[in-house]
Amino acid sequence: MKTWLRLTAVAVAGALASAVAEILDPGGPATALVLLAGAVALGELVVLRPPHRCAVPLAYAFMLVIVRAASPEETVLAIAVAELVVVPLRAGAWRERVRSSVEHFGAGMAALGVYRLAFGVDGLSPTPRMLTALALGGIAAIVVHELCAFSRSHRLPPIGGADLALVASGMLMAIGFRGIDARPSVGLWSVALFSIPLLAAWYSFERLAVISRTSEQTIEALSVVPEMAGLANRGHAARVADLSVRMGDRLGLRRRELDDLRAAALLHHLGHLCLDAEEVRDRPIEPSEVAEKGAEILRQTDLANAGDLLATEDFHLGGQILRVASAFDDLATAGIEPDAAVDALYSGPGFVYDPRVLEALDAAVSGRVAAPVGAPSV
Amino acid sequence: MNDVRAAKVTAYCIALGVVAAGLGAILGVRGSVPALAPLLALAFLHVFAENQITDLTADLGSSAGVMLCTAAMVVFRTDHSALGVFVVGIAGGLYLPHLLRWEWRKLLFNAAMFSIAAVASALVFWQIAGTGAASPGRLLLAALPTALVYSVVNVVMVSIVVMFATGQRLRDVISVGSREYLVYYPFALLGVFLGLLYIDYELALLPLFLVPIIVARQAFSSYLALKRSHEATVRILVGALEAKDPYTAGHAERVADYAHYIGLELGIPAGRLERLRLAALMHDVGKLVVPNHLLNKPGKLTAEEFDIVRKHEDVSVEILTRIDFLAPVAPSATSEAAHFSPVADDRGQPVEPHIVAVADAYDAMTSTRSYRRALSQDIAFAELRKNSGRQFHPRVVDALISALRRRGEVHGAGHELFVHHASAPTGRTGSAGLGDLLPESDGIGSESTVGS
Repeated sequence: MKTWLRLTAVAVAGALASAVAEILDPGGPATALVLLAGAVALGELVVLRPPHRCAVPLAYAFMLVIVRAASPEETVLAIAVAELVVVPLRAGAWRERVRSSVEHFGAGMAALGVYRLAFGVDGLSPTPRMLTALALGGIAAIVVHELCAFSRSHRLPPIGGADLALVASGMLMAIGFRGIDARPSVGLWSVALFSIPLLAAWYSFERLAVISRTSEQTIEALSVVPEMAGLANRGHAARVADLSVRMGDRLGLRRRELDDLRAAALLHHLGHLCLDAEEVRDRPIEPSEVAEKGAEILRQTDLANAGDLLATEDFHLGGQILRVASAFDDLATAGIEPDAAVDALYSGPGFVYDPRVLEALDAAVSGRVAAPVGAPSV
Repeated sequence: MNDVRAAKVTAYCIALGVVAAGLGAILGVRGSVPALAPLLALAFLHVFAENQITDLTADLGSSAGVMLCTAAMVVFRTDHSALGVFVVGIAGGLYLPHLLRWEWRKLLFNAAMFSIAAVASALVFWQIAGTGAASPGRLLLAALPTALVYSVVNVVMVSIVVMFATGQRLRDVISVGSREYLVYYPFALLGVFLGLLYIDYELALLPLFLVPIIVARQAFSSYLALKRSHEATVRILVGALEAKDPYTAGHAERVADYAHYIGLELGIPAGRLERLRLAALMHDVGKLVVPNHLLNKPGKLTAEEFDIVRKHEDVSVEILTRIDFLAPVAPSATSEAAHFSPVADDRGQPVEPHIVAVADAYDAMTSTRSYRRALSQDIAFAELRKNSGRQFHPRVVDALISALRRRGEVHGAGHELFVHHASAPTGRTGSAGLGDLLPESDGIGSESTVGS
């Protein structure tokens, strides 16, 4: 609800400001400019968050309209005012809010500069020239935005569908707002209507985020049930999951494989809960029985891959990682120092553990770098 | 679907096909011929859009179809070519999976429906917007009644096929899902723009138009896919409970179904309904920590055993609390929160715990357990009514009973799908759930306590 309040505040402020502009200069260009600045401010509060990619605000689409329709001075002024207005309305610490506004202003300026440069190139007929200039301007804004994100997280967010949708919608809005050459245009209507697909995308990404968080939390919540039943140490599943993923990452597993590994690690004691008490009453439970039971349950669901990891042959990399991580955590919980625990696993009975996996464990525990899979292990 | 119904559906599809073919023939002979380039472009896009919907529910199903048909009305407006709109409409029926499996009735139905709806709404559009010069504002205004006509034709034709296929009355099926058609209006407006942009710039801007729509649809379908996979994750829990204790097989899912019925009956909004269903599905998760021999112990539990069994509620609450989406309804898993008290002021308190409690008690009474056979539905209803306003929330009890009656569902003795304990003894009403297992000295074990 709070988002709605903020959006309403911006919308009301924008409408009031444009009414004032209309009164001061009836029929003048200022009214539309104020409304577009209001759209930029609104767009700052509606952010597309595609999974595993950089989040981008809708504001960039509206900036393209201003860049196309207004003079450079007006553009700078309108975007600057919009970014200033939203600072108090953003979420998070003040430092972050100001930084976001500054970065997004910079991205808008990049769009303006690149658009002006590209539009000045002679030799193209009007329509392709306009399309090229708008596309390059939009892409410039996205690139600046993502470079800023990269400078913080050091993971390069690849440009994806959401970015393209934003640029494409911005181009359509800009052309619809004021046609190319003397062709007819539909004014502000185009800004409102071409927002529809973007809003639909925004809504879908929001729902996607909620359901993916719920899904992760469900698995995490299930992972503590064996601990509540006293079948595993408190926090065991979460620690093993964390360690397994770090080891798998070092061994070069891909994201999907890491997701499966994490789910399998979190749920590797689940089978224990379901072993029929009558069957195992008078004898110790074998780890393989727990694994088989857990695998049986997971194989009935979408997590079949994770289930396979629980009950794989010894040589399977994912299964090995999981077993090594779990054994390490048991030793560490028993009070054994990390280095000693790693050594104990190295000198374990028989050929139980793959040396590459033990190397990854050693590296994950001590923070060193392991040889990737495929490289000869020493 | 029995033979009579199938025959009716077939006859209906053929009849619609004949009507559409006749319409096409008349338009072909007497109407004006459309320009080829926009016809091919829009028809191709319509085929593409309808084949993209594999994962989507009806919500966004034909939204792109509405947009493309409206675009065709704008493009073919000045030469008044209904044939062009007709052909663009037909293209929407070419759904590749239907073609590959040769489901000719579906192909025929969809092609006929889309083309008839497109031509009918085009006539309205041209009537309002005229065929001469018109401002964009006028076209946009005309698009709204056009979308209305399109969706009404759509609803009627689909409802008739549902009526024939299910044997329900038309009145009952026609209202269902009409809200989904709201999304047609903005897409019809977008269609006007698409048409205008096509007239001014031809194909240059089409790719730009498609990108955001494809991205939105893909995001939505990946949301749906993940939602299904989350369902599967919750099934892990159900699977784990079933593996542990076959009695619970189906219990969680039945409670979730009943809770869903009650929620619908009480008019709970869709988002909360989803949460209610999940919470109901997971309300017994704590039973995973209860040893098997206690869960199915025939006869009374000792006081210590009862404490252990009761611990499962705390575990359930702790688990539900860890999931942000379910945390607000986590108390659904406790008997305290679910116990209706006529004196306490429960305004502002969530109704979900009461819903889960009633659904749980109803299923406990109408299914056979190791220590007691299922009761008949009438006895279960009577028992819920008797405790309505004391143990159970009266509105919730009424909602469940009327929902089940209206759906014509009967559960309980003689109507169970799977009976796991065929030799279980016949018990008193009060023995449902934990009632009969309570220690003798404990007051909660009286006749009136129902549900676990």
